[in-house]
Amino acid sequence: MQVFFQTIIGGISLGAVYALVALGFSLVYRTMGLVNFAHGNVVTVGAYLASTFYLTTKLPFALAMLVAIAVTAAIGLVIERVLRPLENRDFDLMLIGTIGFGIVLDALVIMIWGATGRAVPSPVPAAPIELFGLRIRTYDLVVLAIAAVATVLLVLFLSRTKRGAAMQAVAMDHEAATAVGIHVGRSNAIAFMIGAGLAALAGGLVGPLLYVNPALGGALGIKGFAAAILGGFGSIPGAIVGGLAIGVLDSFAAGHFQGYSELVTFLVFTVIIMIRPTGVFGERTVNRA
Amino acid sequence: MTAMSESATKTAQALTVEGLTVHYGGVCAVRDLSFAVPAGEAIGVIGANGAGKTSTLKAVMGLVPRKVGTLRYGDVDLSRVHARAMVRHRIGYVPEGRHVFAGLPVEKNLLLGAYVRKWNAETRATLAEVYEMFPVLGEMRGRLAGALSGGQQQMLAIGRALMARPRLLLLDEPSMGLSPKLVEEILAVLLRLRSEGLSLLLVEQNAKLTFEATSSCLVVENGEVAMRGTSAQLRHDPQVRRIYLGL
Repeated sequence: MQVFFQTIIGGISLGAVYALVALGFSLVYRTMGLVNFAHGNVVTVGAYLASTFYLTTKLPFALAMLVAIAVTAAIGLVIERVLRPLENRDFDLMLIGTIGFGIVLDALVIMIWGATGRAVPSPVPAAPIELFGLRIRTYDLVVLAIAAVATVLLVLFLSRTKRGAAMQAVAMDHEAATAVGIHVGRSNAIAFMIGAGLAALAGGLVGPLLYVNPALGGALGIKGFAAAILGGFGSIPGAIVGGLAIGVLDSFAAGHFQGYSELVTFLVFTVIIMIRPTGVFGERTVNRA
Repeated sequence: MTAMSESATKTAQALTVEGLTVHYGGVCAVRDLSFAVPAGEAIGVIGANGAGKTSTLKAVMGLVPRKVGTLRYGDVDLSRVHARAMVRHRIGYVPEGRHVFAGLPVEKNLLLGAYVRKWNAETRATLAEVYEMFPVLGEMRGRLAGALSGGQQQMLAIGRALMARPRLLLLDEPSMGLSPKLVEEILAVLLRLRSEGLSLLLVEQNAKLTFEATSSCLVVENGEVAMRGTSAQLRHDPQVRRIYLGL
């Protein structure tokens, strides 16, 4: 039993990071109807930026993260701006455009920071807290708390603000949204900006947990993508549940199957999706690509 | 809905459209169409499927690429105004097939209709007026719009357009797919809007509804005006009776 709970705890902090990545996927999908395939690569950029500001520029961890989020959000704006002319012409091209941007970002990361990775020390004391005989790393709690706050803010933004409602309306009906006066391009730009900001948050937080390297975003991107699908693509609670589920699944698989853990995680994922293709909170609100 | 009607009559404007042409690739959907919607009047556009009715309405809104000689609303030249800015000139649009925001609650749909206004007490008052006009929307305010019936969605689409307090309303096939009883309800709504001073441009396949709701009509065939006249004249025209009323 002790081991069981310890394994769950071990998976939760990475799960929270997957959830943040999944949130970014889901937000852009929910507000644009687009799957942003550059999202994972934006996570890499965010991770490198945060670690650079933290280690090289010697900013405090929180500030380094905020600066990284700001810079990455700007990258999100650029991506949307470049792809915008494609939106009304061919939505599939826009989708492929995001893949192209992913490749460009990957290349830029290697050009700027090199092909080797770097380790980021934990910004909080590494000694774990003992609770009911379980060992919890302080940093895991930090990750969990920040992910929770980000999620609550995002939900409030979408459900309580006029802009949030308008952004969801754009994905549901782009023409009706235009007719009521919503600037579709601006709405999409904000979606991309927040999505990229979430990617940077995930990348920055994961630095002290994993080794920051050019392949980081690819690995996190695929897990976050799986998490979003598992929860129900486009659903905000789904992204959270999916992320945590994949994290815990990972942790159990690593404990029992070592080298084959990834394989086991994705096998379980595949089986769940075959049983329930819409995911846990699957809903059908958007019908674009 | 007194507040709505006052502001509408005081400043009602005429819509003038001259030489409107719409091409989709090589296909000409609307060819050199001209018409006007005088202030406070209701004008109908009838025609068969694919005659260019929807394209005409979308082209006026700027939702499809168009060529137009004159597109004026009162003193305002609309020929260079973007579709999203039309609502600021008090022109409302009710799309074909309702196009409500299916995943959002009814009340959010209505509030989004007032997107260009501040969501303040005044907007709340308009919301109350819309609920007064369509009580069913008030009862369903917390439901997702996608869960409403076709008739309710049509009411919602009209209510959403009214939330911006338009003076001219463009309606695309509001009777589509509705039962005769619901079509009667839509007619009652249109007559009420007219009596409150709104100008209407109504595109319909249902000629009977159109003749009852409007003062004059265009008959569109293959993207061109085949006939025009007062609704009273057209409804007694033998050819119109045969083709569009099935009599």
